[in-house]
Amino acid sequence: VNTYLGGHPAPERRFSRYLVFGLAIVLGVGTLTARLFYLQITNGTEYSAISNRQRTVLEPIPAPRGLVYDRNGRLLVKNVPTFAVKVRPADLPNELRDGVVARLAALLGMDPAEINTTIDSNPGSAFDLVRVAQDVDRAKAQLISEAGYELPGVEVAVEARRQYTDGPLMSQLLGYTGPVSADQIADLRDDGYQPDDLIGQAGIERQYETELRGTYGSESVARDRTGRRTQVLQTVSQAVPGASLTLTIDTQAQRDAQKALKWAMGEIGMTRGVVIAMNPQTGEILAMVSLPTYDNNKFARGISAKDFQKLLKNKDKPLLNHAVQAHYAPGSTYKLVTGTGALADRDITESTRVLTKGYLTLGSTKFYEWNHRGWGPCDIYCGFGHSSDTFFYQLAGKLGIDRLAHWARQYGFGAPTGVDLPGEVAGIVPDNVWKQDVLGAKIFPGETYQAGIGQGYDAVTPLQLINAYAALANGGKLYQPQIVRDVVGPDGKVIRPFKPKLLHKLKVKASVLRTMRNAARNTVLLRHTYNLVDLPIKIAGKSGTAEFGRPDSQGRLPYSSFFIGFTPKDPRHGSFDDHDSQLVVMAFAYDSRTKGNAATEIVKYFFQLHYGIKKDYRLPDLLQRTNFYSND
Amino acid sequence: MGVIRAEPARVTDWAAKSVGAAWRAFDLQLATYAGLLAAIGLVMAYTNSAENGAASIDAGTTFSRGLMWAGIAAIAFIIATAFDYRWLKTLSWPAYALQLGLLALTLAIGDGIGNSARWITIGPLTFQFSELAKILMIVVLADYLGRNHHKLDSLGTILGACLLVGPPLILVMIQPDLGTSMVFAAILAGMLWMSGASLKWLGLLSAAVVALVPLAWTYLLRDYQKERLTSFLNPTPDVSGPGYQLYQSQIAVGSGGWFGRGLTNGTQAQGDFLPVQTTDFVFSVLAEELGFIGAIVLFALFVLLLWRVLVAAWRCRDPFGTLFASGLAAMILFQLVINVGMVMGIMPITGIPLPFVTHGGASLVSLAIGLGILQSINIRQTRAEW
Repeated sequence: VNTYLGGHPAPERRFSRYLVFGLAIVLGVGTLTARLFYLQITNGTEYSAISNRQRTVLEPIPAPRGLVYDRNGRLLVKNVPTFAVKVRPADLPNELRDGVVARLAALLGMDPAEINTTIDSNPGSAFDLVRVAQDVDRAKAQLISEAGYELPGVEVAVEARRQYTDGPLMSQLLGYTGPVSADQIADLRDDGYQPDDLIGQAGIERQYETELRGTYGSESVARDRTGRRTQVLQTVSQAVPGASLTLTIDTQAQRDAQKALKWAMGEIGMTRGVVIAMNPQTGEILAMVSLPTYDNNKFARGISAKDFQKLLKNKDKPLLNHAVQAHYAPGSTYKLVTGTGALADRDITESTRVLTKGYLTLGSTKFYEWNHRGWGPCDIYCGFGHSSDTFFYQLAGKLGIDRLAHWARQYGFGAPTGVDLPGEVAGIVPDNVWKQDVLGAKIFPGETYQAGIGQGYDAVTPLQLINAYAALANGGKLYQPQIVRDVVGPDGKVIRPFKPKLLHKLKVKASVLRTMRNAARNTVLLRHTYNLVDLPIKIAGKSGTAEFGRPDSQGRLPYSSFFIGFTPKDPRHGSFDDHDSQLVVMAFAYDSRTKGNAATEIVKYFFQLHYGIKKDYRLPDLLQRTNFYSND
Repeated sequence: MGVIRAEPARVTDWAAKSVGAAWRAFDLQLATYAGLLAAIGLVMAYTNSAENGAASIDAGTTFSRGLMWAGIAAIAFIIATAFDYRWLKTLSWPAYALQLGLLALTLAIGDGIGNSARWITIGPLTFQFSELAKILMIVVLADYLGRNHHKLDSLGTILGACLLVGPPLILVMIQPDLGTSMVFAAILAGMLWMSGASLKWLGLLSAAVVALVPLAWTYLLRDYQKERLTSFLNPTPDVSGPGYQLYQSQIAVGSGGWFGRGLTNGTQAQGDFLPVQTTDFVFSVLAEELGFIGAIVLFALFVLLLWRVLVAAWRCRDPFGTLFASGLAAMILFQLVINVGMVMGIMPITGIPLPFVTHGGASLVSLAIGLGILQSINIRQTRAEW
């Protein structure tokens, strides 16, 4: 009946085959057990450690960045919460990247190429977040956040953005924060900086980065395979908010300075200028304006590459604070150095008369008086008051280049003032050693003449110049200019109170400086500065005109103008015999080429605004361009 | 070696047998071990669901789907037990046609990750027909080798078996599913061995296969397959690399220790460090959460189950039954060793599920059918009288 066996005998049951099969089971399961024992028991501790380590990670808790106030407690910088869109490249699969970036670009209204560039120039590893957009508006942030599954590797984060109350008015001083660069992060990793961190990149934000940043806290965070945090396990250390800063800047003075400079620039059609106001008794900077400026809020919001290029390409360099980050020939303002030196070295006394004339001859070269006539025999009051070139050529000749350089350094030229702003340059005080080093020759006598009137190799920053006159005004103390008054801790306690920083005392008799102050007053009294004497306040000062650049076809050079003025403590009734001045102001008008001294008009306007002088003494006629090289 | 002759089964008797007699022949141990293994699978489904934060009973979680499939598998087991397995001999060729048809259908309309076609979606359910095809393959081979049990020392019979396995193996390989095609080969090898086929020809055939390996490596395998196969040699923490999964699964296994971290406390799975934690790498979750002891219990259940399957093979007087049991044992053993070995980094990465434990309806239901057929074989033999 059993067709299946087909009449054949039933198969033999071979025990050996079963035995071998059984052995295969024993061998297979035995191997698995051995391996399991090796992994779990022999090496178990090690694997547990790896498992725990990769599950929890210490993540930084950003500290709120310190705020900045002006000297009167006005808030200049604050933090506002914003949304940022970040990408973790490791979570963005390569084959999906183009699609995700295109989608993201469309949502953000950005160029996909820009996003790709940002991701590719990520300073961290593929596991670190890269900020591709900041200050994203709430609606867009929400859209992106909700589209999480379609946008792998993309995260929306809430972070604080800096908001600068006055924007361009203070940009040069406050600077801005921006993403750390690849170069910076290499050095800053150990200090707790993240590749997607923000750091002060200019101005106060950069100078006081350590104080403003505070101390980041850290928390132990559970995360999944992709590094996304799933929960906070423990706060290891709390973040300590950054310290706040109170500036020496007076917002009103800053506004007045900007207003005065802008007015003159508008009248003239000039593109670059600086105004600084200081308290000579302390070195506090009350106002510092460098134009053209920029809006640091643009940087805080993440400036577009196009806008940034525009700023970089502007020939007037808006990103530079021309008060400290550039140097220029000082012109006649430098005669302060020559005069002080000649008096101090007793080459002249206050009554010594020197013959001024149309020109001096040195070898075959003629050194002209600026008015080509001179004023006959002149003492220091007359020579400084009329700003006589032939007077100071002769003084410089008597001093010699090395003594002249010595006195320049006494006034703080040739070295950074040490102001708490980044990127300050040193300027140039030429002497024999300097010229030998740089140009491989000694100073020629004609170059000493030039140096004596602030031309030739002389180069100073506007801040050095005003600081030198501050030392004159205060009776010979060279202070380090300061822009931050107090550093205030997060608890409101002053960590670093303001203290004037004396660099050195000028090694001159008080009488020498009194003479020079009165000589400076004489500049005003002699109407060298036109109607400045008519103002209801007493001003002493010195103007300067400095040629620069290349001569035109007729050998004429473009020129800039300077003026530095100061008032006695009692501006109406005080005397320049005293050294109690509370205010020194300087203006620098680059490439002004005006009939009169443009800088004097700017300072005059500032004084009018500052002292609330109702009558307007400005002389716009003086601001007409001579335009000597374009019109003939 | 003792050689015992099995007496022919008396076909006419079976209907007359009392239900009690049938129950005495039913292997309760076998069913118990299988049930326990399936229960472990459900526990792993539960822990994975709980870790993903869902209420485990919610529809759509791995656990609730697991419960449903367990129910279906139980029904399939009962039906297969009640079904007279002897009909399978008659139905062998239709079974072969069905097997090829299902595999071809999968290729035609199946879904899978990337460009692969591995499962068919019916409504909310997906079903991987290649799992069922493995059981059908065992049926077809058991019938073929059973019919030719007297010619097992001829090369022709052995090659015939190979020819039968060829088409489904190739269809699975095209999907591409290297793992399942290897299971087909393992089933063939196990059944040929247990059938008592001539050692001479088996040896020669193995030598030929070994010789063909380099050729297959060069011309048949795709690059990613080679990469997966060799990546177990160097597990790395590089997320984008092929060794990452293995690296993480070894950490998971290693961090289990003697007693494990406890159910639902597995950090590797919870932290989502382990890709495919509910499927092919489920053992790593088990090892992490239940520890060395838990894994040994799992191994022990498998060994006991295989023992019962081999006992069924030994007792059976019908060559079909012996061969079917052998095929089933070969399949389970191969999948166990390859899957667990892969998770622990001593076997190449291939997509082979761990029987009973890996969450997948097709695998569980197919096993239930296979074990049901085995019980049917048990019931419908008169015991050898010793």
